Amino acid sequence: MSWSKRLSALLPMTVVKDNGGTEPDPRFTFANERTFLAWSRTALALVVAGLGIVQLLPPFPRVPAGRHLLGLPLIALGAVLAVTAYAEWVRSQRALRRGEPLPQSVLPWILAATITTVAVIAAVVLLVSALR
Amino acid sequence: MSAPPSRPPGDDPEERDPGLARERTSLAWLRTALSFAALGGVVLKVNLLTGLLVLAVAPVVWQLGRVSRGDVPGSAAPGSALPAVGATRLFFIALSVVAVALLSLVIAIFGQSVPGALR
Repeated sequence: MSWSKRLSALLPMTVVKDNGGTEPDPRFTFANERTFLAWSRTALALVVAGLGIVQLLPPFPRVPAGRHLLGLPLIALGAVLAVTAYAEWVRSQRALRRGEPLPQSVLPWILAATITTVAVIAAVVLLVSALR
Repeated sequence: MSAPPSRPPGDDPEERDPGLARERTSLAWLRTALSFAALGGVVLKVNLLTGLLVLAVAPVVWQLGRVSRGDVPGSAAPGSALPAVGATRLFFIALSVVAVALLSLVIAIFGQSVPGALR
């Protein structure tokens, strides 16, 4: 499937028209919605953390770009997380309607990779600013 | 899959009262609105206009959550089992987070740092 088709499949107009299968148990629909909202809050937390690091922390000694190295990936991945969470909500709702097994979520992987990467960058920045 | 009332109630309280799921979802919307407000507060410290913009998203999110609570005319009635599923509402949340993240990126790259703001 081409990228433009994949993207247009995510637009609300397209999602609403999806009437394959039957309306799932409302509790499942609610749970799916809550999952999306929880990931959105996680995305917002990443943005807050990134912005806080860049704007509110004092600069690292001898590593002038340190705050940006830490904060900018956090903010960018907040945006990625929000879009992915919405795509997963669409996929899950689609699977729920059809009574299919829920698709594997890539969100925990993205979050774990983000936190690992930022932790490694933080360790390097701190080491360099302390040692040099 | 059928709606809960058509099945005999089990041990799970959810089976007897799907309103609990609705309430949890309503609370999740409230938390999300509060998260936007919190981010707005942080941005406010850095850039007044952008901060107000982000803060303004919070009440909109809270209002969108009312659809889940079912007390909006035209959506599912409070007592009924079926919620009005709005892909548009969730799409708005995702778009808002992306917009806020982009604004934050611009502020982070071009904005004036205020290291004393934490003290």
